[in-house]
Amino acid sequence: MTPTISVTQLGRTYKDHAALADVTLDIAPNAITGLLGRNGAGKSTLMRIIAAQEFASSGTVRVLGEDPMENDRILRRITFVREDQIFPDFKVRHVIRAASWFHPNWSEELAQTLLADFELPPNRPMKKLSRGMRSAVGIVIGLAARAEVTLLDEPYAGLDAVARQIFYDRLLADYVEHPRTVLLSTHLIDEVADLLEHVVMIDHGRILIDAPADTVRGQAATIGGPADAVERFVAGRPILHRRTMASVSSVVVGGGLLDQDYRQARDLHLTVQPLSLQELIVHTSETTTEARKSA
Amino acid sequence: MNTYLKVARYHLVNRVQYTLLPLGWLAFAFAVCVVIFTIVDPSTKNGHVGALASIFFIFLALGVQSVVQLLPFGFALGLSRRTYYLGTVLLVTGLSVTYGLLITIMQEIERATGGWGGHLSFFRVPYILNGAWYLTWLTAFMGLLFFFLLGMWCGLIYRRWNLIGVFGFAATVITVALAGALSITWTHTWSGFDHFFRALSATGLTGMIAALALVLLTGGAGTMRRVTV
Repeated sequence: MTPTISVTQLGRTYKDHAALADVTLDIAPNAITGLLGRNGAGKSTLMRIIAAQEFASSGTVRVLGEDPMENDRILRRITFVREDQIFPDFKVRHVIRAASWFHPNWSEELAQTLLADFELPPNRPMKKLSRGMRSAVGIVIGLAARAEVTLLDEPYAGLDAVARQIFYDRLLADYVEHPRTVLLSTHLIDEVADLLEHVVMIDHGRILIDAPADTVRGQAATIGGPADAVERFVAGRPILHRRTMASVSSVVVGGGLLDQDYRQARDLHLTVQPLSLQELIVHTSETTTEARKSA
Repeated sequence: MNTYLKVARYHLVNRVQYTLLPLGWLAFAFAVCVVIFTIVDPSTKNGHVGALASIFFIFLALGVQSVVQLLPFGFALGLSRRTYYLGTVLLVTGLSVTYGLLITIMQEIERATGGWGGHLSFFRVPYILNGAWYLTWLTAFMGLLFFFLLGMWCGLIYRRWNLIGVFGFAATVITVALAGALSITWTHTWSGFDHFFRALSATGLTGMIAALALVLLTGGAGTMRRVTV
């Protein structure tokens, strides 16, 4: 299947800082992909380059089979909701109206529903909105555009939990009815974990994880119990994190566990707790940081 | 609808900026001049007030705004740099034609009423905007276009290189002007320079403004090519 987004050996350097280094990535069509990573990992830079708002220092980007840079034919099929979007000095309804002119699959009905859901006052000037309300306007545009390529970069900065849930519900409901390629970057990993079909983790400008979400979820587990039994179990396995208190150990191991591993753990009276996506991302990031420091 | 027209329409969503602001300010400046002319001794009136310049400076500000304030969301709407630039140029061409026509009509009324009944020359500017209606229209159009494009290029420079870029741009323009003045001095050609401008008609000056506008248009397009937000 031809990927919707294809990035090859992409690099972006700012003076002496490499925001992206040798990133090669394919994003499959009609799937929700999570782009995860710490602040400054390169998520926003990658999305800005995919949306042709930023220039790559090296490498190539293809969106829907073509280079998106200065390509109106492709750009009109992309919507990009940025965390730091600067809005013009318009009223909310003016911003929504302008957005409706440029997106060929725009749904006015969905836009009006979302405006009501987020309780956005149509006649209020954008500059009078709170941070969360401005984010909500971005979300309304991002979802109502029904663009084939929907890029959402931390779209809910400042939104409260209720509004975030509305976003998740509406995204999923509309995605089921109108499948599209969604790339969603976020820090709130546990909140979106169930939405994601594919996970990409980026750290210091490099891709660390690029796998289906189900595979990633089963990739690591916390093994707890008597220290000597834990050590016997984890020997030879990739260790992501280790914590020992007195005679009790808790070790996070990667590489996935098979049925026989679970049997062995039971025999050793060990507890096995699969890691949530967020925990896995945190441990992977920590492991990489430690490796970088010791290198 | 053509995408360039959509870009122009996007700018006009907030009508205050492009209609009420220039028209309102012009009306205010005109009202101020009329009031002043009613209280000043008629024998001291020289007629020319120069307040019409305000609309040209408003166009300069609109040019800056078109990039600094509206471009980031323009990118979010899925517009390429080229399309945004050409659409904005289309808009300002239309606006300059319209406001140029307005100035022309007001100038004709001013002439017909003997300076609004009080020798006021608000819409007539000696030498540059004081000829036949079609020349007034052409010169006003070109002047408005020039100031908008200047503001737009400054805005683009700000977007690409921040304030340092704007100061660098200003320093470059001043240096070029200074180098020109020095070369005229060293070649002892100030008298020729003086003769050239004395001999230059208002239409000739309009032609020079058009040439400079073309420089601004090209420079802006070049800066736009790699602008990011």
